[in-house]
Amino acid sequence: MSGIQIVLLTGVAFIGLYLIIRLKKKVLDLVFLLALVAAAIVFILWPDLTNTIANKLGVGRGADLVFYTSILIFWFVLLKLYLRIRQLEKSFTQIIRDQALKNATMPDSDDKSANQQ
Amino acid sequence: MDDSGVHTIASSTIVVIPAYNEGTILNTIVTSLLNKKYKVIVVDDGSNPSLQNQLQTSSIYYLRHKTNLGQGAALQTGFDFAINLHPKYIVSFDADGQHDINDIEALLKPLQNGIADITLGSRFLSDNPSQIPLSKKFVLYLARVINFLFTGMLLSDAHNGLRAFTISSLQKIRLTENRMAHASELLFEIKSSGLRYREVPVTIHYSDYSKGKGQSAWQGIQIVFDLVLHKLFK
Repeated sequence: MSGIQIVLLTGVAFIGLYLIIRLKKKVLDLVFLLALVAAAIVFILWPDLTNTIANKLGVGRGADLVFYTSILIFWFVLLKLYLRIRQLEKSFTQIIRDQALKNATMPDSDDKSANQQ
Repeated sequence: MDDSGVHTIASSTIVVIPAYNEGTILNTIVTSLLNKKYKVIVVDDGSNPSLQNQLQTSSIYYLRHKTNLGQGAALQTGFDFAINLHPKYIVSFDADGQHDINDIEALLKPLQNGIADITLGSRFLSDNPSQIPLSKKFVLYLARVINFLFTGMLLSDAHNGLRAFTISSLQKIRLTENRMAHASELLFEIKSSGLRYREVPVTIHYSDYSKGKGQSAWQGIQIVFDLVLHKLFK
C-alpha cells in the first residue's frame, strides 16, 4: 500500500465515522453517503478500476473522470446551498418584519412605549 | 377638483417610504407630504444610526428593520403595515428626493376613476425626458428589455419607485425579493394576478445625491442574477 492510499483511506474512514455519528436517524441519507464512502475505498485500493470505467465512458484517464464528476457534484452542492440560503433569508426576513410591525411607532403618540412590547 | 377634494383623497392615501441611511432630504419629503395631508409610513431599513432621531416630525408611522434587508423587503413591510390601516390607496415613494410630490395626484387619478388597479410612474413619458443622463438611459433601456423577456410587459420605464396601488390590488401582491429585483418581481405579480396597470408620466429630479443612490451597472447584473434564480426556485 502506498503512502497516498493510507492518507486517503484515513480521511475517508473519519468521514464515514462522522456520518454514522451525525446521521443515525436519517437512514436513507446515511445509506447513500456510506455507499459513496465504500466506492471511495474501493477506488483508493484499486485505482486502476477508475481507468477501466473511464475508458468504457470514452474518457481517457480515471483521474479525468473523477475530475468531471467532481464538477457536477460541485454544482449540485452549490445549488443546494443557494436554495438553503434563500430559505434562511426568507425566514430571517419574516422575523425582522414581524418585529418591525410589532414595534411600529404611531403618529403623534406621546407614549411611544405603548406600541412596543 | 377643488382643494378640499384633494385633501380627502390625500387623507385616504398612505405613502410608504423605504429608507436606508438617508440624509436631510428625507425630512423635506416627509414634511411636504404631511403638508399635503397624506399619511406617511417611513420604513427604516436598518439605517445606522437609526433614522428615528433624525426625523423632525412624529406625525408619521415609523417602522424599523433591526438589520438591513434591502429595498424590496422594506417596501413589503411598509405595505403589510399600510394594509392594516385600511386606506383606499397606497403609494410607494423613494427616499432620495428624486420623485415629485405633485405627481402623486396624477398617479391616483386612474385608480379613482376605476380604470386601473395599479399605476406605475414613468420618467420617459414626461414632457422632457432629455434631462435623463445618457448612462442612466442605457441601463434603463436594458432593464426594460430584460423585464420584457421575463414578463412580456414592455413598460416605458423599468425601475421607477413611484407607484400607486388600490388596497385590494396590493393585497394580491407579495414581494419576496428583498433587494432590487423586487421591481421586476412586482411586474410578475401584476401579471399573474391579472391586475390592470397603467403608466403615468412623472418627473425625476436628478441631483448628485440621488445619482449616487441610483443603481450601477454592476447592480444591474445582480438583479438579473436574482431574477433568474427567482424564476428557477420560486
